[in-house]
Amino acid sequence: MSAFILVIDDEALYQRLIRVNLEAEGYQVNTAGDGEAGLEAIALKMPDLVILDVMMPRLDGFTTCERIRQFSSVPIIMLTAKAEEEDRVSGLNAGADDYIAKPFSATELVARVRAVLRRASRADQFTQNRYFTHGNLRIDFARAEIWKDDKPIYLSATEYRLLIQFAQHVGQVLTAEDLLLSVWGEQYREDKEILWVSIARLRQKLEDNPHSPQHIVTRAGLGYLMPPPDNPG
Amino acid sequence: MTNRAPEPQFPPILLDDVYLICQLARQGRAWRPALVQILKQVRKTIIYDNVAVYLLDRTTGTLEVSYAKSVGRGRSSEADVAWGEVAAGLVFQTGERVLQEPEPNPNLDRLQQPFILGLPLKLDQETLGAMVFIRFGGPHYTPEQIDYAGFTAQLAGCLIGVQELKQQLSTVETLKQMLDIQGDLISILSHEIRNPLGFIKGYTSTLLRADTEWDAQTQHEFLTIIESETDRLERLLENLLDSARLESGQTVIKFLPVRLEALFNDMKERARLQYPDMAIEVTVETTPATVLGDPRRLTQVFENLLSNAAKYAPGSPVHISVQRMDAPKGILIRFSDHGPGIPEKHLPFIFERFFRNPEQNLQIYGTGLGLYIARQIVLAHHGRITATSEAGQGVTFHIFLPEQTFDAPVA
Repeated sequence: MSAFILVIDDEALYQRLIRVNLEAEGYQVNTAGDGEAGLEAIALKMPDLVILDVMMPRLDGFTTCERIRQFSSVPIIMLTAKAEEEDRVSGLNAGADDYIAKPFSATELVARVRAVLRRASRADQFTQNRYFTHGNLRIDFARAEIWKDDKPIYLSATEYRLLIQFAQHVGQVLTAEDLLLSVWGEQYREDKEILWVSIARLRQKLEDNPHSPQHIVTRAGLGYLMPPPDNPG
Repeated sequence: MTNRAPEPQFPPILLDDVYLICQLARQGRAWRPALVQILKQVRKTIIYDNVAVYLLDRTTGTLEVSYAKSVGRGRSSEADVAWGEVAAGLVFQTGERVLQEPEPNPNLDRLQQPFILGLPLKLDQETLGAMVFIRFGGPHYTPEQIDYAGFTAQLAGCLIGVQELKQQLSTVETLKQMLDIQGDLISILSHEIRNPLGFIKGYTSTLLRADTEWDAQTQHEFLTIIESETDRLERLLENLLDSARLESGQTVIKFLPVRLEALFNDMKERARLQYPDMAIEVTVETTPATVLGDPRRLTQVFENLLSNAAKYAPGSPVHISVQRMDAPKGILIRFSDHGPGIPEKHLPFIFERFFRNPEQNLQIYGTGLGLYIARQIVLAHHGRITATSEAGQGVTFHIFLPEQTFDAPVA
């Protein structure tokens, strides 16, 4: 079966360029014009490889890449408009598997795609979970939407990233420092209060009774965790 | 020693006076008029003959007298009396108060016996200069007056210091703007050059792929893309060169009588091919509408505006009106579209070189040079171009070209 590749790029001429070259290789190609549409397409069509442009209006390539990684381990090749090292590093940090710097030649594109697909086929089949549920809570990673008892919950960007940390580590106690580093970054390492406020706000929005939380539980002296579903509290 | 004049009764320092000078310090936009008011006010209590303010000139590192006023004895002696320069230097060096009171000598003229009180002007820890009060022939400064003068100098220090900071800030902002423009240039160039280059390289290498055969139609399609991207690069280069030439004044404007009706008719003809969907309506209220100008350059102005309208107000009709103005004499051309308009906060910058609306879709190609070039050309015609816009109502460019006599610069 030929591999199915999704191209996320806002430039029609790049979409066309990549499509013709990959179709000539016998791959199946779909295109999406922006990050949001790309996320949706990944969740629905489960491509074998994603080619993702960095320079896009609204949701840029790095953010899109981070969002993809929240629910899918599909191989990603970033198209960096800049050959600068920092762009490549940000791309790899965001979870990309490889990058191609524009301008690129058709043969380079084809060679990179082949190589990434070869590596991916040797590795374990990648995982994809668009939805996450925990009690009455449901997360749609592709759309970054939260539902509680089928009612939408609106979170700030930081609150969403904080919640994702718990969802990705169900049953594990996360220390304040872990959370501050992964959600806020290095310079907030010591700012425990900012975490406390954010967890309190998150509980206000998510929990039936914020004083007796079911989703984000305090482990005194250790940190916080999202308890495994079969062992609430 | 008994010759010393009896100490006069000084008026007391009232809280109301203090409030008043604080208020004066706060109200003043520029430090000088505020300081004049303050010094006038404090004279009621710190009775002085002369006062002088010395400030550090940062370019030379020396103290310069920035304000001086003679109000009492010695007014007629002008430059011959003491103005406390030495005391000011001492105050500035030490950052401390200086009090110089001579022993009274009845054989000397009062004007030869200055009683000098020098106070530092500081903002935080930095000494900006000195304020010097002078009494000729006494009496001694009382401790209350010295404190009050010190307080006044502190206020003046803040007043002057804050304005110096504001000035420095505006210098820094100007520098930052220049750096930003350079940064914009780099990012615009990298985007505007890299994209066409990317397509040229991508589609050429696609055609050259050894392992694939492309049918004639596909080949033609790719070659057309390559050609039009090459054109885009060429236009970019032309715009860059044009703007550089206009900037350095190397562009020669050939002044000829130009009939605007004819110029707009030609432009409409070309636009029909270039922007087939664009409706262009021209209203000429005065015939013949003739200006003295360079037809090629004026055409460039209107074509730049037209290309902007096509890009930023797609689907909107364009209306051009031509009107004769009397004071000052000339022709006013209004060029309007009915697109989304330009946000008010960006309007002041649209004629700047490399300015592009940061909220604009990245998909719309542009170098931020079109309006800059238009303005440079209009300026070279001794005219002016401005823009007005209302959100959702479109943009109107107002181009005024003065009626020129034939002794206008002809190159």
